[in-house]
Amino acid sequence: MFLAAFIPTTNPEVSLDVTLVNRLLQRDVSAFEQLYDRHSRAIYGLVLRILQQAGTAEEVVQDVFLQLWRNAAQYDSSRGPFVPWLFTLARNRALDTLRLKSERQRRREDQTEELPPVASAPEYEKQLDEKRRAEKVRALMASLNPQHKRAIELAYFEGLSHSEIAASLKEPLGTVKSWIRNGLLRLKEELQAT
Amino acid sequence: MYEAYALGVLDPAERAALEAHLTGGCQDCAKTIDEARWLVSQLAYMAPEAAPSDMLKGRLMQTVRAEAHAAKRFTPSRSAIPFWMWAGVAALFLFSLYSTWNSQRLEREIQAANQRAAAILQERRELDAQLQLAKRAAIIVTDPASLKIALASQDPQTPALEAKWHSQLGIVLTGQSIPVPSGNRVLQLWLIPKAPGGKPIPSLTFRPDANGKFVLLVANPPELMAATKALAITEEPEGGSAQPSTTPRWVGGVS
Repeated sequence: MFLAAFIPTTNPEVSLDVTLVNRLLQRDVSAFEQLYDRHSRAIYGLVLRILQQAGTAEEVVQDVFLQLWRNAAQYDSSRGPFVPWLFTLARNRALDTLRLKSERQRRREDQTEELPPVASAPEYEKQLDEKRRAEKVRALMASLNPQHKRAIELAYFEGLSHSEIAASLKEPLGTVKSWIRNGLLRLKEELQAT
Repeated sequence: MYEAYALGVLDPAERAALEAHLTGGCQDCAKTIDEARWLVSQLAYMAPEAAPSDMLKGRLMQTVRAEAHAAKRFTPSRSAIPFWMWAGVAALFLFSLYSTWNSQRLEREIQAANQRAAAILQERRELDAQLQLAKRAAIIVTDPASLKIALASQDPQTPALEAKWHSQLGIVLTGQSIPVPSGNRVLQLWLIPKAPGGKPIPSLTFRPDANGKFVLLVANPPELMAATKALAITEEPEGGSAQPSTTPRWVGGVS
């Protein structure tokens, strides 16, 4: 079941992240550098995918890591793993920038200055390291119907709503909802099956 | 619905409805949404990793180092306190420890000295008292006004005793080579009244030393010399008796 019982993670990579974040609280510059070296490629890749422009993407990545440095105390390791939290922070920042850039109305203005909540990871999250999980996610998305994949990409990387995606793809709203829902369910099942 | 909410694709009305439900404190939904957020975060892996420029890292590290340095400058730290101050604090602490120890030591010494002084004072009082008694005994023995009383032994093998009675200062009884009573038994002096039928009046008890020598001072005899017919000495249990329990071993008339 998806709502599995959660236990503290024992993945050494995850423990290292938590240790490094805790050291940030003591203003440990070397801990920050290690965190940057460990995650900057993934974060930059995500932000660049959203913004499609290297200069702006670097500004956002800089903003994300400075927020981490200045607000490390807001990450609560007891509530969930670090990397998903950092992904969410980076995505929110990038989407905010994208919306400002395109002068689109921001739908949730209050998210701009706030750090995202830490997401509890399900039990199966601990069974895969980051690299293997990334491979699984990419493989699954590649296997999806291109239309379904496109709908999810518009939602995730461009921050569009169901209605906006339906308009963009010129598909019925119910169909788009179904594509996204089914795509996410497949992703969940795939990660659970590990 | 929860995954769509976490993904941010719900239209405003749907999102508002779900958030209103969550505001009600539904724990199950909150947990499900937490997990949905995690699932959505995994979509980040769809983006291929890419290397940011080295300049980005350079700019970040420069900012972070500057902020860390500023934070240290405004945070009192151990190293911010000069060595001489630590040395002063340490010296003060050691001096304080020494003062406490020294004060306790002096207090103990004063207490011991007080105890010694009290013991010496007590000893001196006792010596004074003994001296006074000795002086009194000496006066009784040497004063011509004292009445000499010979107490003859009922046993021919036992030496006689001698007493001197001064009407104001009391009786001094002396003896030498006197057999020491056995066990805890003692010798007791009795004053035999002149009055017919009068019972012996008990006085002090005593034991000769290992050589059979003793000096007994009776500063306040229980009867006047004029009313006393004789002095007698019996052997009694420790602490003495109210009436003689044995035959007198020495008797001497007062005349």
